[in-house]
Amino acid sequence: MKMVRAIVRPEKENDVVLALEAKGFPAMTKTHVFGRGKQKGLKVGPIHYDELPKVMLMIVSEESSVPVIVDVIQKSAFVGYEGDGKIFVSPVTESYTIRTGEKAE
Amino acid sequence: MFVEIMAIIRRDKVGPTMRGLDAMGLGAMTLTTVNGRGLQGGNVMTDIDREVPAEYESVSKITKHLTPASFALSHSLTRPVFWIPKRMLQIIVPTPMKTEVIDLIMSVNRTGWMGDGKIFVSPVEESLRIRTGERGIASI
Repeated sequence: MKMVRAIVRPEKENDVVLALEAKGFPAMTKTHVFGRGKQKGLKVGPIHYDELPKVMLMIVSEESSVPVIVDVIQKSAFVGYEGDGKIFVSPVTESYTIRTGEKAE
Repeated sequence: MFVEIMAIIRRDKVGPTMRGLDAMGLGAMTLTTVNGRGLQGGNVMTDIDREVPAEYESVSKITKHLTPASFALSHSLTRPVFWIPKRMLQIIVPTPMKTEVIDLIMSVNRTGWMGDGKIFVSPVEESLRIRTGERGIASI
């Protein structure tokens, strides 16, 4: 199993969620996070913004559907400018459903 | 050597879960406020959630003055997106304690209704205490 963490623009959150839902991935967790990237934030005149608001979406899925999820997120979160976000994939060894105690590996 | 246990649980179960973990000698954890949706896509029905009054056919998570439906209308979305407020608990434990912790979290959080949450286990490669520079088992 893999966990896909996508850090996307807050205004693109709904597009990403609806696109994932359409592909059959309705389950996810979101958090509002603040971050900056390679450009060390934004500079507008003398003002420096280095904590830019983003939304982090976390999706745990089978390894085989990771390419699909990554592709869907990339297409739906794309604007074409710096600040579009990142997608990270990390391993998850086990997952449990608390209600039933069901285990998946 | 270590595993990270990430549990996404109901907000009102945070206290009992923390007390249970304290009793096991695991006082250190990270809590985050998150919003989540499961296989039901975030819909809360009366037959899923006992807290919901019976006269509501279905309710959605309502953020202060904005319902998902009105948000969808004002942002020209095809349909509303529903989210349910949850807490995410992350705890790093030595691998031998893994099953014990998972069993505890499951027994405390199980109500038998949808929305009880999920537990994810992932590997941790290294751990370091910033104050002393200790690494490995001494650092947790």
